[in-house]
Amino acid sequence: MNNLHVDALVIGGGIAGMQAALDLGDQGFQVALVEREPSIGGKMITLSKVFPTLDCCSCITTPKMSAVAHHPNIKLFTYCEVQSVDENGAGFDVAILKKPRYVDENKCTGCRQCEYECPITVPSPFDRNLGSYRAIRVPFSTAVPQTAVLDIDNCLLCGKCEKICPVEAVDFTQQPEIFGIDTTAIVLATGFEMTDLGAKKEYGGGELPNVIDPLMMERFLAPTGPYGRVLRPGDGMEPTTIAYVQCAGSRDQTQGIEYCSRVCCMYAIKQAMLISGALPLAEITIYYMDIRTFGKGYEQFYQNAQAMGVEFVRGKVASIREDENHNPVLRVELTEEGRLIERTHDLVVLSLGMIPTASPQVFGLLPSSDGFISLPALNASPCATERPGIFVTGTASGPMDIVDSIITAGAAASDASAYIRSKIGMRVEQSEVAYA
Amino acid sequence: MPDEKLKIGVYTCYCGGNISHTVKCEQVAKLMEGQPDVVISRTNMSLCSDAGQSQIEQDIKELGVNRVVIGACAPSLHEQTFRGTVMRAGLNPYLYHHIGLREQDSWVHACDCEGATCKAVRLMAAGVAKARLLQPLESIQLRAEKQALVIGGGVAGLRAALDIARQDLRVVLVEKSPFLGGRMAQLETVFPTGEDARELLHRLIEQVVAHPNITIFTQTEITGVSGYVGNYGVQLLQHSRGVSDEDSEKMIEACQRLVPDEFNYGLSERKVIYRAYPGCYPPSAAVDWEYYFDHPLQVNGKQVVLKDEPKTFDVNAGAIVVATGFDPYEPRHGEYGYAEIPEVVTLPQLIRRLALKKDDEIFQWNGHPVRDVALIHCVGSREVEGVDEPHEDGQVNNYCSRVCCTAALHMTEELHQRFPGLNIYDLYQDIRTYGRGHEEYYRHAMENCVRFVRYHGAERPEVTTAPDGDSHPVLVRVKDSLTYNEELEIPVDLVVLAVGMMPRDIDNLVKMLKVSRGNDRFLLEVHPKLRPVETAVNGVVLAGTAQGPMNIQESLSAASAAAAKVVSLLGQGKVELQPFVAAVDAEKCDGTGACVEACVYEGAIALETFEENGRQVKRAVVTPANCSGCGACVSVCPNRAIDVQGWTLAQYEAMVDAIAMDIVDLVEAA
Amino acid sequence: MTTPTTQTKNISRGEMLKHLREQHTETVARTQALLKEQKRVQQEICKVLRDNPKTVPEIAEAVGMPAHEVLWYVASFKKYGLIVENGMCSDYPLYQKAQEK
Repeated sequence: MNNLHVDALVIGGGIAGMQAALDLGDQGFQVALVEREPSIGGKMITLSKVFPTLDCCSCITTPKMSAVAHHPNIKLFTYCEVQSVDENGAGFDVAILKKPRYVDENKCTGCRQCEYECPITVPSPFDRNLGSYRAIRVPFSTAVPQTAVLDIDNCLLCGKCEKICPVEAVDFTQQPEIFGIDTTAIVLATGFEMTDLGAKKEYGGGELPNVIDPLMMERFLAPTGPYGRVLRPGDGMEPTTIAYVQCAGSRDQTQGIEYCSRVCCMYAIKQAMLISGALPLAEITIYYMDIRTFGKGYEQFYQNAQAMGVEFVRGKVASIREDENHNPVLRVELTEEGRLIERTHDLVVLSLGMIPTASPQVFGLLPSSDGFISLPALNASPCATERPGIFVTGTASGPMDIVDSIITAGAAASDASAYIRSKIGMRVEQSEVAYA
Repeated sequence: MPDEKLKIGVYTCYCGGNISHTVKCEQVAKLMEGQPDVVISRTNMSLCSDAGQSQIEQDIKELGVNRVVIGACAPSLHEQTFRGTVMRAGLNPYLYHHIGLREQDSWVHACDCEGATCKAVRLMAAGVAKARLLQPLESIQLRAEKQALVIGGGVAGLRAALDIARQDLRVVLVEKSPFLGGRMAQLETVFPTGEDARELLHRLIEQVVAHPNITIFTQTEITGVSGYVGNYGVQLLQHSRGVSDEDSEKMIEACQRLVPDEFNYGLSERKVIYRAYPGCYPPSAAVDWEYYFDHPLQVNGKQVVLKDEPKTFDVNAGAIVVATGFDPYEPRHGEYGYAEIPEVVTLPQLIRRLALKKDDEIFQWNGHPVRDVALIHCVGSREVEGVDEPHEDGQVNNYCSRVCCTAALHMTEELHQRFPGLNIYDLYQDIRTYGRGHEEYYRHAMENCVRFVRYHGAERPEVTTAPDGDSHPVLVRVKDSLTYNEELEIPVDLVVLAVGMMPRDIDNLVKMLKVSRGNDRFLLEVHPKLRPVETAVNGVVLAGTAQGPMNIQESLSAASAAAAKVVSLLGQGKVELQPFVAAVDAEKCDGTGACVEACVYEGAIALETFEENGRQVKRAVVTPANCSGCGACVSVCPNRAIDVQGWTLAQYEAMVDAIAMDIVDLVEAA
Repeated sequence: MTTPTTQTKNISRGEMLKHLREQHTETVARTQALLKEQKRVQQEICKVLRDNPKTVPEIAEAVGMPAHEVLWYVASFKKYGLIVENGMCSDYPLYQKAQEK
């Protein structure tokens, strides 16, 4: 098979990847966007509302997803993973693994009849395993592409989906395939993962059912979440007292994560405000070390939350156990009062941090001491990596929020564009100022 | 349009719950279904999603829908999105009307579901009424100048200029002062790498100067802006440099007038003929005309008086990048003792002072050795209304200035390295070392035994002169929340105020460009998430601290992102403007000129003379590119001879009739 | 949007499925057991909800399963239309069987 040739290959279809692809596509470059999940949208599509404006997250992400899918200059490859990146003189030869969906993308209309017919229900990582879907499914309601995918490891091979499909799109004969893309520039937008819920044993994450991670709470607050409301996973109760434990996965030498994950103060405050809307009687307490609301409009957001009655307690939570009714009990030093207390809440959210998703070795790059991709020219070209022609954007380059992800996506597109032009040998004409 | 049967498609969005939790969307959709000319009426959880948009496209292609009415979030968010949807389906994008059911209804009437639903019905009915009268329109295509104007020669302006130039557009870079570099030149080392600030800056300046696409004008101001995206006409005023390269040394020597050096924040003096710093660009000296006052100079035995001969000239630009930067907050007289107590200094001043006294082995201030230093965070930031004194404009600076915590702790590290015996007290509210590589400064500070004292915003530290005979010149009083709110009295030799950032005074520029400012007085972006570097004025983008506090790395990213937007806009050599502009029906116009009098937009409408049936007649003529579509002309025309395309009087009348209709009639009409 | 074409084998559908089941015996066996368990739980929960709406802890007690597992099933049944919410009992939502259409 002939390699597909493009000007830029964007790896990762989250907000940063999509924005970079759009910025490059708008300039007329041919762009390929590769995403390893069956749908683009990244972490952002799983969120409820975004800070500080409290816009509905879906409302601002889905148009970007749609724009990417329909852009004349962007080719979208989902359910594909990069295997290797080799230099070829003019750019890079990239080998990509196309994982089998067992569904013909060209035929599938996203009608979901297969999903409803399928007898096996499995936990859905989109809903942090608190929700479910079937072994064959369209990943979520706003997925792009709206195409079903079959999880062969949880499949009975009963053939019901194949029988019910009105366009005969189910294809059990699919095999994984390797194809190649040759490109002038690469933009890495591989994103982040949350730090492990169970990393700090003292907090009981993963063991205590009512100690959860913030992406679970996002799903509860989102309109299409697993319960349709905010409930605690231990027994489905509507919680009245909710605690946030800040720096649960950052600024912690015992976890090997010394850096600040930058977004946790804001997302905790945001979730606290949204919960206050969903559960007007709820009492929310945020246990913190420093409140880092540094961005535009963020300090005002913090002040609003305080005015709304969210309780801010300075203290590093030492440990969490549970009582006989599975209510989490926090042990914390109140630093402003100099005493230790124990406090019971219905539900505890650990404000986990960010770690990079991808290990950069496959791109021929080395991680920094903090695990994120090394930025050799931080104060000159913040999107440049150690390898010329490979640029990085979004949380792959370090913890950051959506605003900064979109800005660095534009910056990476700018860098990539200048690089591509220099490689393709576009002539730079002698300039003359255009006088009026 | 020839007789084509109207087929209106109506779509009511749930908006993920934002609309549907107040407005009964199904009811609204049902009522719309029965309206005359409506062939399909649907609801959707999220119309802007790919699935939602596909549904609309499908209806256009398969059901022949030829007018689309959408009730969803505000038009500012997705009107463009849905125009794209409609266009993809092969329909003219202006045969679609958008109703803001969220901001205009469900969000403001959240407690009144019945009332909100009723209002939604009226709004949608009005939309359908307008849709019946929609006509296809073409966007206005204009040739775009493939040249950008960058205002500001600091790190953000330089980066934006270089990025735009490297993407094959021409750039005019304008800097008000005689030298490039902005505030970054006033730093010594930058965090988190410890690199030399001016070395980094010079590498960037070299690339900018060397690039053939960039033309630089220093000592230049903007005096006028006209036009519109793709074709801005900018009037510039450039002052004379006053001295040439070869004469620089002679002139500097001959000059005897001294003024406070703003590069060192007034800590030192400089001559009126000067260079900002060694190695600055442009390398020749400049005359500070503000303070020159025709001061005669003795040069080569002759008396010379230099003259400023300002030049004005115009430049065309397709887009404008505003990179005018920031000023460090200047504390008021007496604020923490500033300007009253000589031992109180701002952090930027301290950076300059340490650079001026690079070779000093002992840290001295005002004649005494410095052994104990107090560093106070959040000066001029995180101010609380009712607690902190408002500034001249009546506002408090309630924002966080973002960079100061890291800058302050970076300084503690520098001080510790230079003066190991120094005792530092750090008085803070929250330590915001949020960035990659920043937390390390906090850890080092703790390891280097900086003593942290935490205060609450409502009770800020007080700085007073110590009584005569005390061991130290200054006392700092503060309630330490880390030790049960005990009130501490800390004797120190120096107080360093970690001041925040303020936007520069660019009132004139703001008026000329018609951009908006936020409550924090910084320039405002259209949407903080969707369009973080664009302003509401098409073609004007923001780069760097003109938009809000940010550090060097963040300014660079923002500048590059702004460059990307400019290149997308101008790269094709043409721009498209929306067609919602005034249009004159020449047959009805009889040249009264009321429209010209009513119009406030320069060059939008004028009376021109035509020949009609052998007579000379005056008729109104619109220049679409200058017209904002405000409709002032429409309201004064006695003959209804002028209308705004896409928003005609007849459409308004139909909408008002629909809104005023009794709901009962509406139900019956269904 | 072009996609690389997939390979197809020219054999009958029945043979192909049989061949696949042989390749995936382990996962198929596990999934069959999973299906059995899911069907059992569904039956039990539906039996418990036959008469009146119940909260998750009430269902959990009746079927003898941990509450968090029951919640997962209830959420799944709600998503696929087998169960609906119907009011609250103090801080717990009540669930009942969906009306047969």
